[in-house]
Amino acid sequence: MNTPKVSIRDLRLWYGESEALHGINVEFAEKRVTALIGPSGCGKSTLLRCLNRMNDRIAACRIEGRILLDGDDIYAPEVDVVQLRTHVGMVFQKPNPFPKSIYENVAYAPRIHGLADKGAEMDELVETALRRASIWDEVKDKLHSPGTALSGGQQQRLCIARTIAVKPNVILMDEPCSALDPIATAKIEELIDELKQEFTIIMVTHSMQQAARISDQTAFFYMGDLIEFGKTGRIFTQPEKQQTEDYITGRFG
Amino acid sequence: MPQHTIKRFDEELHILKELVLSMGGLVERAIGHAVKSMLEQDKKLANKTINRDKAINALEVQCDEMTRDILVRRQPAAGDLRFIMGIIKLVTDLERMGDLAAGIAEGTLRSLEYPPKNFSNLDIMGEKVQKQINRTLDALSRGDIKLAMTVIEKDAGIDVLYKRMYREMLTYMMEDPRDITASIILSNVAKNLERISDHATNIAEMVIYIERGHDIRHVDHEAAAKLLSGEEI
Repeated sequence: MNTPKVSIRDLRLWYGESEALHGINVEFAEKRVTALIGPSGCGKSTLLRCLNRMNDRIAACRIEGRILLDGDDIYAPEVDVVQLRTHVGMVFQKPNPFPKSIYENVAYAPRIHGLADKGAEMDELVETALRRASIWDEVKDKLHSPGTALSGGQQQRLCIARTIAVKPNVILMDEPCSALDPIATAKIEELIDELKQEFTIIMVTHSMQQAARISDQTAFFYMGDLIEFGKTGRIFTQPEKQQTEDYITGRFG
Repeated sequence: MPQHTIKRFDEELHILKELVLSMGGLVERAIGHAVKSMLEQDKKLANKTINRDKAINALEVQCDEMTRDILVRRQPAAGDLRFIMGIIKLVTDLERMGDLAAGIAEGTLRSLEYPPKNFSNLDIMGEKVQKQINRTLDALSRGDIKLAMTVIEKDAGIDVLYKRMYREMLTYMMEDPRDITASIILSNVAKNLERISDHATNIAEMVIYIERGHDIRHVDHEAAAKLLSGEEI
């Protein structure tokens, strides 16, 4: 196993009175794809959203335990959440480009974070991000048309370009392909396979086949517990826990 | 194990297993008949056995179609995947066993022209090999890995029986060249039985893979037993 990029220690989370995560311990390896799977309500998306403190916005949400990014606690008081989210980017279920041009979608965050100057430097940054998101060839002649005019799959790749433009270490993906057709899905999966050379990717997916296809490690959650975590090949051929077996073979409830 | 949410998937797996077991039943009977036809020099039974091999072959094709269909429609995982993979492999073994049984029956037809002086331990060997197949099919049917291990362990005894019979046939050939043809036929029959037992062993190994996910094909018995008891090797 590579060095852990993200370590989760005894993580408990409550929404008001109800405990949604019951003490999770897991380490996500650097430059690997980890898939979080499990039935709806099992806590996988909740966990994902803890990793860039998206749950901060929910007033009734309270957590205990620690989440370490490169050994540093991301919930420490001195941490700037905006800065944290440049290190830990997120791609959502539904493509959500800004109502701006394709160019602006990518340039917006680097500009406010001061990562590149206007002009040639920014042009280069935008091109690099779009190329790495495998969408450059499709948009290079219409960089100033609205991002929302692209197809769903292209919009999602634009969102990935936007995420990687600020050079994060970790990319969180919350069912990134659930709104896409099989071809657009395949393109995203191919892209994820390339991106893992540089980024640590943690994704929630409801498609077990997708988890089996593209992840290196799989974590199975059920009712707020991490039931089993291991190499994807093993989880899908020889799971150790009966609950995992029941879930991935379609015998659940 | 609980049922699949998609009930039809359960039915398909059940039908496939029944199909494989009935193929196994035909193979078991074919071997019994083949050996009997030799021991009793029964031409009619030998011909029947050869003809019935077609049914075994047809079942192999049917099983392959079913596994292909399940793979493409259900995309099985974990225990279901191991079951399908195991079936794909062991069906080939069953089909080969059927061929070897037909080969024994062909030996019977040839031996009618060259009657053997005696059949040595063929009766015992035939019974033991049939018992091996019976155990293998039971192990598959019940998912009994202990019984599967028994099959694997007992294969060595069949090898010994074959070697013994082969040596005995050599002595007949040396004593009297007129017995050469009959002796070669009998020693080939014994060889077929020995190979049938090898295929039974392969199936037993697949049963262990299906049930536990351990691939013990190329590890020795001791290591396999350790693996199954959960020890590291």
